[in-house]
Amino acid sequence: MLSRVAENLYWISRYVERVENVARLLDVGFHLELDASVPVRESTELSPIEGVLTILACREAFERDRGATERDREHVLRFLTFDRHNPHSILAMLWRARENARATQEMLGGESWSQVNKLYLYLCSAKAHRRFAASPPRFFDGIKRACVLFDGLVDGSLPREEVFHFLQIGRYLERVNQIGRILTERLGDWNETTVEDRPARAIHWASLLRGCSAYEAYCRAHHERVDPRGVVEFLVLSPDFPRSMRFCVTKCRESAREITDSDDDEVRSEADRLLGRLDSRLRYIEVDEILGVGIVPFLAEIQEECDLVGDAIHSTYFYA
Amino acid sequence: MFGDYDVVGFDEMFAAPGLVRPHYAALHERLSTLGVHELERRHRLADLMMRNQGITFTVYGREQGIERIIPFDPAPRLIPAHEWERIENGLKQRVRALNLFLNDVYHDRKILRDGVVPYDLVLGASAFRRECVGLRVPRDVYIHVSGIDLVRDEDGTYLVLEDNGRTPSGVSYVLKNRQVMKQVFPFLFGRYNVRSIDDYAANLLETLRHIAPEDVDDPTIAVLTPGVYNSAYYEHTYLARQMGVELVEGRDLFLDDGRIHMKTIRGPKRVDVLYRRIDDDFLDPLTFRSDSRLGVAGMTGAYRAGRLGLANAIGTGVADDKGVYPFTPDIIRYYLKEDPILGIVETFRPPVPSHMNHILRNLDKLVVKAVDGSGGYGMLIGPASTAAEREEFAAKIRAHPRGYIAQPTLSLSRHPTFIDGKLEGRHIDLRPFVLYGEEIKVLPGGLTRVALPRGSLVVNSSQGGGTKDTWVLRGSGNEIINNRKCDDRSRDATVSESA
Repeated sequence: MLSRVAENLYWISRYVERVENVARLLDVGFHLELDASVPVRESTELSPIEGVLTILACREAFERDRGATERDREHVLRFLTFDRHNPHSILAMLWRARENARATQEMLGGESWSQVNKLYLYLCSAKAHRRFAASPPRFFDGIKRACVLFDGLVDGSLPREEVFHFLQIGRYLERVNQIGRILTERLGDWNETTVEDRPARAIHWASLLRGCSAYEAYCRAHHERVDPRGVVEFLVLSPDFPRSMRFCVTKCRESAREITDSDDDEVRSEADRLLGRLDSRLRYIEVDEILGVGIVPFLAEIQEECDLVGDAIHSTYFYA
Repeated sequence: MFGDYDVVGFDEMFAAPGLVRPHYAALHERLSTLGVHELERRHRLADLMMRNQGITFTVYGREQGIERIIPFDPAPRLIPAHEWERIENGLKQRVRALNLFLNDVYHDRKILRDGVVPYDLVLGASAFRRECVGLRVPRDVYIHVSGIDLVRDEDGTYLVLEDNGRTPSGVSYVLKNRQVMKQVFPFLFGRYNVRSIDDYAANLLETLRHIAPEDVDDPTIAVLTPGVYNSAYYEHTYLARQMGVELVEGRDLFLDDGRIHMKTIRGPKRVDVLYRRIDDDFLDPLTFRSDSRLGVAGMTGAYRAGRLGLANAIGTGVADDKGVYPFTPDIIRYYLKEDPILGIVETFRPPVPSHMNHILRNLDKLVVKAVDGSGGYGMLIGPASTAAEREEFAAKIRAHPRGYIAQPTLSLSRHPTFIDGKLEGRHIDLRPFVLYGEEIKVLPGGLTRVALPRGSLVVNSSQGGGTKDTWVLRGSGNEIINNRKCDDRSRDATVSESA
């Protein structure tokens, strides 16, 4: 496979994954804000939708664009959805996914390419703006589904060869990244000694799980109430849940090993080595150890490791 | 539907007002019973399919570039078997002769020495590549892929309007139009016995394998594209996908050890044949334009050493040069000792004094074309011109006689075309595609382009042209009148509804 094509594939799935996450976060945030019982932690507290600005690291850009005092929900939503000049908006990310897909459509397959293309064209259309105005949650749900459909087409139509594995690496590496960002934003100010308004906080944790499509799965796995300890355990360490960090790292590693044809224990590439190390760490660490270090420093370390994996993939395959 | 359809000049469907040609009878009946709304609905369906699959070309200028689909007309153009046979033989003859001509002008130049074609015309042509003089190309084939534009005059005679032997595009539209038509009008196909075009990509691949370096057993083939921003990019991806080969850009390639390699995730991989969709000028910055970033430095060396097959060969532009065009019948007679099967349009050449006089006296009736122009640019269409434009062209022609040719304004045949809710006659041409590998093969049909503005004679997509599916029939097409009485209107409708 051409290096350029491999790189394009990797970015297509990263962007599609990111779009899906943004759409889900906005959807969940919108629902939460509609609830009258939204707990306000402090007066400076961010609303759930504004929190998405932090997750995507574009709060500053928004404030530059609209001014620091502007706190209109509609503006934030539009900034994150339709603003071409915001590189983290759904539209801008889909545009990049599409340009990458356009340059690899012969590898990606007609159906998968068409799915990205259709979604982008839809977002540019008047219809998308009408749907958004009519019901933001339904609009975001539609985008989320369109992204899932892309994943489904990839899963269902591509042979388990290089094309698939580069898409897979992109998707799961991005997912680890997103889970880390979401947890950091939502759990950043939490510690076990905080005296809490329990019922209100429970809504907060539940929305965090919903933001990762994890609420129902969590409830099945942990029958007791939703608490931060359980949430961290589930979203970071679960071996089976497809939106846990450990699961994603394992998937990444599988694909990285397929690309290098390593079916034994030998380490075949720098990316493989780094993923293997990260995989072991998430496999053997306990939730108490994580809370002992502090969730934020821990997540920052994982993030750093993931960045190194990304660099290794770039230098091994894309700039070879 | 056909309400006040106007029959002017040669109409493909109507021999006279109200008199449908026999092979069009079934289509005419079908369109008439379908009704405007249904046809409109299917038209929209076809557009949507094209857009969703990204079959677009990009018009630049604004920030994002505007993406357009080439308008697709749902009324297909039909060609009965006996007509097609003549076209096919004529095209094969023509491509064979042009190929011999290229081999000759880059080697012995017999045709020039024998005075059949003037020296200066060939050696002075902008597409003549002196770098290729004496260069032996694999299997002596130059024009592997050509698209030859045909038009019909007032009597319905097919004439060659232009040869395209460089990097002709449009074949993906032929293949896509067919796919779309099959989904939008599934049952009409059953009534007509239409020749399949599905094997084009396989034939193209075979043509490319044919020119691999002789020491290579299992050649690696790739399509070389200028990149996503080229207007024919969709076609490049489509062909690469259909052939199952890599689509590469210049930046994916490099020269090493005298051969071309592509950068892959597992290191360099040798490439043996390139189906290049980049103009000669941009292929190799060391040989041609040094500012080109689309090509590969040193490619010409690998080609010259026989370590790379290129389709089409470098320098084929001299065969489709508009200045050479008037001599093509002589070229066919000279090499093949046969009379041309397909005629050409009568052409006047300013360097000939009597022609010059005729041209200047009749500028209002003629079409003047710049020899180096293409795509409908650099043209004067006499009957539609202003006195000032004619003055300007007269001065240009006098100053640079070699740079122009002139032809009578052809009426071009017309075909019913779906415009604003009804069928109206619009001018069409035909670009069939010819592959030259071990043998010469013509894709049955080709791209029918239609000039959508009323009365317009310019079919180029850059100037508001659309396309139609072209059906080459296995028989005369006369035998299918009413031989299937079943009402397939409802059947067609159900199928496309659920699609």
